[in-house]
Amino acid sequence: MTGVFDRAAGEVAGQKKILPGKPRIAVGLATCGIAVGGEKVYERLQEIIKKTGVDISLAKTGCIGYCREEPLVNITIPGKPLVILHKVTEEDAEGIVEAVKKGTVPYKKALCRVPSWDHVTGTVITYGNGFDEIPLYADIPFFKHQKKVILRNAGFINPEDIDEYLAVGGYAAAEQALTRMDSETIISEVEKSGLRGRGGAGFPTGMKWRITRDAPGAAKYIICNADEGDPGAYMNRNEMESDPHMLIEGMIIGAYAIGAKEGLIYIRAEYPLAIRRLVHAIGEARALGLLGKDIIGAGFDFDIRIATGAGAFVCGESTALVASIEGRTGRPHPRPPRLTDPGGGLWGIPSDLNNVETWCNIPVIIRNGSGWYAKIGAEKNAGTKVFSLVGKVDRVGLVEVPLGTSLNTIVCDIGNGGAQGKKVKAVQTGGPSGGCIPVRLFDTPVNYESLNAVGSIMGSGGIVVMDEDTDMVDIARYFINFATGESCGKCVPCREGLRHTLILLNRLIARKGTAKDLETLALLADTIKNTSLCGLGQSAPNPVLTTLAYFREEYDALVKP
Amino acid sequence: MTQGKTGTELAEPPKKPVTVSINGNAYRADEGECLLTVAERVKIPIPHFCFEQSLEPYGACRLCMVGVVHHGKTVMETACTLRAKEGLTVLTDTPDIVKYRTILFELYLAEAPKSAVVKEMAARYGVTKTRFLRRVDTGDPLGGACILCGLCVRVCNEIMGAGAINFINRGPYTVVNTPFTEPSRDCYGCGACAAVCPTHAVSLEDRGGERILHSWSETKVPLSQCVSCGKYFAPAALEKSVLSRIEPPLRDDLEGLCPACRAKKLAKKEILAATGGDPGDA
Ligand SMILES: Cc1cc2nc3c(=O)[nH]c(=O)nc-3n(C[C@H](O)[C@H](O)[C@H](O)COP(=O)(O)O)c2cc1C
Ligand code: SF4
Ligand code: SF4
Ligand code: FES
Ligand code: FES
Repeated sequence: MTGVFDRAAGEVAGQKKILPGKPRIAVGLATCGIAVGGEKVYERLQEIIKKTGVDISLAKTGCIGYCREEPLVNITIPGKPLVILHKVTEEDAEGIVEAVKKGTVPYKKALCRVPSWDHVTGTVITYGNGFDEIPLYADIPFFKHQKKVILRNAGFINPEDIDEYLAVGGYAAAEQALTRMDSETIISEVEKSGLRGRGGAGFPTGMKWRITRDAPGAAKYIICNADEGDPGAYMNRNEMESDPHMLIEGMIIGAYAIGAKEGLIYIRAEYPLAIRRLVHAIGEARALGLLGKDIIGAGFDFDIRIATGAGAFVCGESTALVASIEGRTGRPHPRPPRLTDPGGGLWGIPSDLNNVETWCNIPVIIRNGSGWYAKIGAEKNAGTKVFSLVGKVDRVGLVEVPLGTSLNTIVCDIGNGGAQGKKVKAVQTGGPSGGCIPVRLFDTPVNYESLNAVGSIMGSGGIVVMDEDTDMVDIARYFINFATGESCGKCVPCREGLRHTLILLNRLIARKGTAKDLETLALLADTIKNTSLCGLGQSAPNPVLTTLAYFREEYDALVKP
Repeated sequence: MTQGKTGTELAEPPKKPVTVSINGNAYRADEGECLLTVAERVKIPIPHFCFEQSLEPYGACRLCMVGVVHHGKTVMETACTLRAKEGLTVLTDTPDIVKYRTILFELYLAEAPKSAVVKEMAARYGVTKTRFLRRVDTGDPLGGACILCGLCVRVCNEIMGAGAINFINRGPYTVVNTPFTEPSRDCYGCGACAAVCPTHAVSLEDRGGERILHSWSETKVPLSQCVSCGKYFAPAALEKSVLSRIEPPLRDDLEGLCPACRAKKLAKKEILAATGGDPGDA
């Protein structure tokens, strides 16, 4: 063991970093912030602070998810509310430091203020009062309708400093689980919470844990699915970049409950920053005795390794994922055997696979109790879900809402409808293989069953908004083109069927199609959905089937009478 | 090589007799037996391309779909991955299956327009035309007859242990061939791929002292010549690999003989022994 875990000491150290007793400037540096110049802002601030010798602490944070307003910078002046500045550029750096030196903030750059922040797992950080002219966080329409549970720390703490995670109640759940709970209690808590897998299919997490634990053989693996292959989806990326310890803590608790000594995070190589932060966080956790031998002195051994994938969409499918980790071609195989079956998991060992966000839900369930958790969300759809709201929407960003929230709230209230005042026509949920839902069905609550009922899926949480200018047949073609390229080629409906779907769509768009082609298109899409081997083929025709159902007139208009 | 069990092994241990119902008739089967095997035994036709007894079920061709009746609902499943158990009730020709099977056959007709096997099988199920654009690839080393069932790849990797061929690319661009489409150095030339191919797509020929695998990037494998009759009888690498595996090893005096000459020699020896002749120089 590398150290005796002392949560209280870390908590105190971390709180001194979050509230250092002097001004703190924190720059949002997740991939999104970096992409729009956050790093330059950070470097410029660093330079100025060094040159002028002012006593300001400069830090990095993850991302609060308001993509449209990036880069975001947080200012904390002792006794004052935390102020979030938006659309900050290098040129603003000088003015920011000047203002902070005088005990204030550049008002023109201020997005909102946060007098205190509830980190949900028992810790509320109180920043202070003042700056009354700046709107409150809770009054900002983009934030107002959200409920931050998973993203409770994102954008507030430094993801590269375990102390800051400890400061906001981090690892309290793991400590509680490992020292005061047994496997059965933990699993039944997760079951009672009603948590369902966030990777798309919504399988009850507690049940999957139980099946894995009870599978024959002493050895078990747990795996985190961080493949996130859907174009436009980046929830998992932000979760790992902004709060990597939340994932690690969830996995520690899961491993203990399931009886796994080893965990793996399967992450796409296209996420270098997330990988770096995870590697760093795993190192920090090992140093504190939270990973490795005899964790928290509870006599339990567990460690996490990272496996990088080559970023094929189909490798997110469970059996292909395992094949890919084992060094085989990432092609799905028929289930059973499932991963939880003997012979079916990683290296043949029963394995529990959960999505990043599923794992991230665990600490808060253990900390606040299943009863608390089950009250969030809707019937059979407990908890919150993070969505990436993208496309032709005014306020692009990562949105966390209770399950069961209507599409209307997400797209119109939070997203403020179409970009540039355009009318919204439809949304596509669930990534490339989700369905397109027309505006007239926007009172559909976003939960697993309701989305299926309208021909779409939850998927991992991508929401793509389409406006009045969007050509729905072209949209269908776009997604079919993507799926065709991502098909592994194993089974005929997906491999050949999608290719011919694309040919048919191209023919229609070139106005060379006939009514007969339309008929064939519908029948082919139906066949692919119902006969494909894995989830990729089974869901890939959804964009065609839903646009045919809801926007039939756009197809008919392309066909010669 | 997978560590998994093969289809037959999976079916092995319990051997408990059960009754399954196929299209309303009851049949005996072993518990855990592959339903496709049961159907074949009792002569109920279920079309399939990618199933082979000695390999794990693969579930790729999707033709063997049957309807499993459970609590009054019918769910489609592939018969090759379905295991017999007491009361299992399946239907092989529900309207849904007929509808989807037709489309699958049409996809195969477009994918492998040159395959007589595909045409015949499709015709047996009433499908003689395809609505889909046929593939035309005059340079296809598999002669426009491959339906990517993967049997050749699996036999080569899992049974022969040669690993000479594999899938290249993915999705609709998938083909089977040797790595970098270069002649393979791992190929035994055993021809198991050709033997197992349901559409007879794999082309190979013995010419002089060589076996040429036309489909596999013109891989050439030397053949062993019989020391007695001079005929070429087996790929040299295969002979070597087999000889190294038999226990007790082959007698020195039988080495290098083709099977025919080997049999002759053994027979001669038996006769001499029986008639009291001298076996020494036989
Ligand atoms: C084509 C395909 C891609 C998938 N991609 C992902 C992915 O990127 N991330 C993920 O968590 N699950 C993905 N899944 C779902 C996984 O197979 C699996 O259901 C999930 O990781 C289980 O975790 P959960 O129970 O926590 O949801 C994918 C499934 C399919 C069929
Ligand atoms: S559905 Fe597509 S991705 Fe899945 S096994 Fe079949 S070909 Fe591969
Ligand atoms: S060559 Fe034959 S055995 Fe090999 S994949 Fe093609 S059809 Fe199957
Ligand atoms: S602004 Fe960071 S995720 Fe969007
Ligand atoms: S034989 Fe069952 S899918 Fe091919």
